[in-house]
Amino acid sequence: MRAMITLALSKGRILEDTLPMLKSMGIEPAGDIGRLLRVPTTEPDLQLVIIRPADVPTYVAYGAADLGVTGKDVLMEHGGEGLYEPLDLKIAGCRLSVAQVKDSPALPPQHRLRVATKYPAITRAHFAQRDMQVEMIKLYGSMELAPLVGLADVIVDLVDTGNTLRANGLVETEIITHITARMVVNKAAMKTKHAAIKGWLARFAEAVEARA
Amino acid sequence: MLPEGMAETLAPSSWALEDLRRKLLDHYRVAGYALILTPLVEHLDSLLTGSAEDLEQQTFKLIDPESGRLLGLRADMTPQAARVAARHYAHQDIVKLCYLGTVLRATAPEPGQSRSPRQVGCEIFGEPGLGADIEAINLMLQSLALAGVSSVALDLGHVGVYRGVVQHLALSAADEGELFRMVQRKSGPDMRQWMSALGLEASVRQLLIDLLDLNGGLDVLDAAASRLAAAGDTVQQALAQLRAVCEAIQAQPSPPDIHVDLAELRGYRYKTGLVFAAFVADHGREIARGGRYDGVGAAFGEHRPATGFSADINELLRLGL
Repeated sequence: MRAMITLALSKGRILEDTLPMLKSMGIEPAGDIGRLLRVPTTEPDLQLVIIRPADVPTYVAYGAADLGVTGKDVLMEHGGEGLYEPLDLKIAGCRLSVAQVKDSPALPPQHRLRVATKYPAITRAHFAQRDMQVEMIKLYGSMELAPLVGLADVIVDLVDTGNTLRANGLVETEIITHITARMVVNKAAMKTKHAAIKGWLARFAEAVEARA
Repeated sequence: MLPEGMAETLAPSSWALEDLRRKLLDHYRVAGYALILTPLVEHLDSLLTGSAEDLEQQTFKLIDPESGRLLGLRADMTPQAARVAARHYAHQDIVKLCYLGTVLRATAPEPGQSRSPRQVGCEIFGEPGLGADIEAINLMLQSLALAGVSSVALDLGHVGVYRGVVQHLALSAADEGELFRMVQRKSGPDMRQWMSALGLEASVRQLLIDLLDLNGGLDVLDAAASRLAAAGDTVQQALAQLRAVCEAIQAQPSPPDIHVDLAELRGYRYKTGLVFAAFVADHGREIARGGRYDGVGAAFGEHRPATGFSADINELLRLGL
């Protein structure tokens, strides 16, 4: 019998791209993924858990899931310690960018920049590289609002099409990094269920190739 | 409330823990190991001496009101054993020490691990041959068996392989750190991007990518011998050592599942040879680890080969139930 593998998927934007990829590999959830948090699949030795992207590294690091799909942004922000991240799935592509109100006046040089973001670690590292000490304002959503109401000078956030930015009169001023979804692997699973894990990684790598 | 990551143990677990402690120490005693009881607190500089600088961030610090000097609470007993071996057993060619005690760490090294593990371990000093590596691995496996932990997978690697591959690159310290972190995460995508940004030669790139992929059963060693042929003699020697140890372990009665991983570099900065760890299915992280660290004694004025293993007895007890 092959080892049972639990794959953690990220809810939301990443899931929309992951399900078609699974389908192209002949794998479909065998249950209502809208309601169930844990779902069997059409593969007898693969089950899915569907959780928030930021929770995926935790589930996988503890071994509650053997494999996981999450954004590179999450891995960069939370360190991705204690995990393997061998595969770029090349889906759910977007960028992590700095944005500000269109045509906003230049700030005086001694001004301490106020940055609204849900990525404080990445943001701090990015501005530290430019020798800039910034004031971090940690938010959990609707970043675009912060500069409009004077809460922050700029924001650091994921940009996909840029439509939300444009609709709110913001412009992207700098791309910090390009982001895609990554496959992460639990360390113990890699050692104790090696054949099964390697098999799945090879199948996913093939699916990535086929889409390229 | 207790501080984060601290725990107290009450009966009956406390008795089970005490039983296990006796079983393990009896076993080491019969095997010819001397028990050392090292201080909880030492002068920070002495505690971090040698190649244990990795430990600096992990160490709780306090000021001694008597002397005004900075003290550290031990975060790992292995460097203490190395100091004891150098200071008190210099006259012996071969020294075998065992220890068991609570250590304190500022942060858990991996998610879910304790900040106050009860560390148990054995160290062998003065024995350069593979016999000592095999003895350390076997003692680790026997300790797990005594704790009732079954179906153990043994993970084996050799830091000489990675060292042999990167030594020709002449990287800056920052780049070397970056590469090390990527190798630890087996992040092929990040590494490819980093290598092309740095303009590394195609042949070197292939070696590094191969290294990430070289993990699995014993057949990995055959694949490595040919795929890493260009990396030079030190790599081939390291592979030969790994093979000899694998074969010796496999020839024993009821051997563990052996998994070889050439990109696994736990304790890279002070380890010098064979490294190993134990895993069990459905427990996300390693449960015991060890390896060779020949240089450590040099800081105490005595350079001699060393290898050993350690584990958290609290964790062994939980897994053995």
